[in-house]
Amino acid sequence: MSPTPLNERLSRPGAAWRGFLVGLLALLAQPASAEADLPFNLQGFGTLGLARTTSDQVEFVRDLSQPSGIRKDWDGRADSVFGLQATWQIAPQLSAVVQGKVKYHYDRSYDPQLAWAFLKYEPTPEWSLRLGRLGTEFFMMADSRWVGYSFLTVRPPGDYFWYLPFYSIHGGDAAYSVPLGDGLVRLKAFYGESNGRVPLADRQWDVEGSPMSGVSVDYYRGGWHLRASYANIRASNDLPIAGLLQAYSPDPAASAAFLATRNQRTDYYSLGVVYDQGPWQVQFMLNRIEQGNNALESSEGGYLLAGYRIGTVTPYLGYSWVHSRANNHDGRPLIEQRIIADSHSDQTTGIVGARWDFASNLALKAQWDAIRGDASSIFPYRSEPASGRWSGRMDVYSVTLDFIF
Amino acid sequence: MPIRRLFLLGIVFWLLAQPGAPLHAELAVVVNARCGVAAMTRNEVINIFFGRSRQFFNGVEAQPVDMLDSHPDRARFYYKLLGKDLSEVNAYWSRQVFSGRGQPPVKVGSSEEVLKWVTTHPGGIGFIEASKADARVRVVLEMAH
Repeated sequence: MSPTPLNERLSRPGAAWRGFLVGLLALLAQPASAEADLPFNLQGFGTLGLARTTSDQVEFVRDLSQPSGIRKDWDGRADSVFGLQATWQIAPQLSAVVQGKVKYHYDRSYDPQLAWAFLKYEPTPEWSLRLGRLGTEFFMMADSRWVGYSFLTVRPPGDYFWYLPFYSIHGGDAAYSVPLGDGLVRLKAFYGESNGRVPLADRQWDVEGSPMSGVSVDYYRGGWHLRASYANIRASNDLPIAGLLQAYSPDPAASAAFLATRNQRTDYYSLGVVYDQGPWQVQFMLNRIEQGNNALESSEGGYLLAGYRIGTVTPYLGYSWVHSRANNHDGRPLIEQRIIADSHSDQTTGIVGARWDFASNLALKAQWDAIRGDASSIFPYRSEPASGRWSGRMDVYSVTLDFIF
Repeated sequence: MPIRRLFLLGIVFWLLAQPGAPLHAELAVVVNARCGVAAMTRNEVINIFFGRSRQFFNGVEAQPVDMLDSHPDRARFYYKLLGKDLSEVNAYWSRQVFSGRGQPPVKVGSSEEVLKWVTTHPGGIGFIEASKADARVRVVLEMAH
């Protein structure tokens, strides 16, 4: 249950600031030279966001790492973030990256977190090796989900990304790039241990130390980018449902065994196509998540998004979906069926919005999400709706100001 | 001689029909003359300037140099290369930087500095007005409008 000393040390915000301090000292130690040649970079990103929904029955969250969400009142919790990153080019082939991030996270606080802290070694132009606390790219763009300035929409489409509360691992990855025609193929593999927690109801599911691994292949040519990936996580703990089972199950031990997630593997498959050339930006993504346990439902999701830039404004339209199905649980006790049903999703979302690049490194966005789902679709949200009060239909209105520096 | 006159007329029309290339400042992608690269496709240039590839086809490590946003050649270059606005190029790089994948190429403020970079780095590659290319660099891609 308790984190290892290493995790603890890395998790303390102090470590991030110490990293920045070390970097700043390195910066000061450098003789004055052209901006271009500085071995030290301090860069940042952020989003000021406000959003509201049209339902008080459920709370809308950006992804399942958020413990509570937004309702009918304008709220800044879901999308606001501030990040600071220091990059130190130690040698031509070796660099160190530290990123700190402030946002609303699983323990209901805004404490600064250490997002990444790793060493990158590039022995040849083909190879890139990283070691430390790294972002994971379970799906395309999953490791830049909080950098609002980097994408078109207010937030990455929820139906596709809700199920991905994992952001980083303690481990390593290796990428190999090789030309193919005048395009490029990039192969990548990673392995590490999760360092996150997932909030569930009023508790947290501790996935600390869960082994994760994955492989992906990318192909780039001109404005085209294709990607296929596979990743998995083997949960280190059961869901925090022991108390519920103790209270409501006719045979708590049997229920716990049936709903066990500990040492069960979950597989993540994804396919993505991006066309980004001229005024067009088009994305088409598919994913499939297969739960090896009986407690959570497996799901399939996807989205299609298209934007067309006119001057400094890019209006966009999108459509996303997610549908889940349960493993066979006929004849299981009612409490088990209730727990399994909590992870059900069955909905589509229409997305209409616009991004306005009104000044250098600043973007203003406004978006309308029209969520149209079944009343049984409750996994993507926080707080259980009162019986019969949730229709599965809801609109979300959002505005954000994204910046980088 | 009507044949000769027709021929001359034909030449005049052919010349008139040519795009006014010499009149407009064309952009050229230039590399260090000794890097062993004679020509590149548009997609190969995209791979290098968007940080996807760090080498030329012959294995020599590419060392790209970009220009500051304030220099008009930067916007023209990315527009001609991929039809992209600078805000989109900067958005792309924010994804690369903050996902920890890598830093954008070094940026300089003038064509003279681009030439200096390209000639002093064995794998130097940059973009300048075609008329400014000299014998120390090799034009590998011309970008007419």
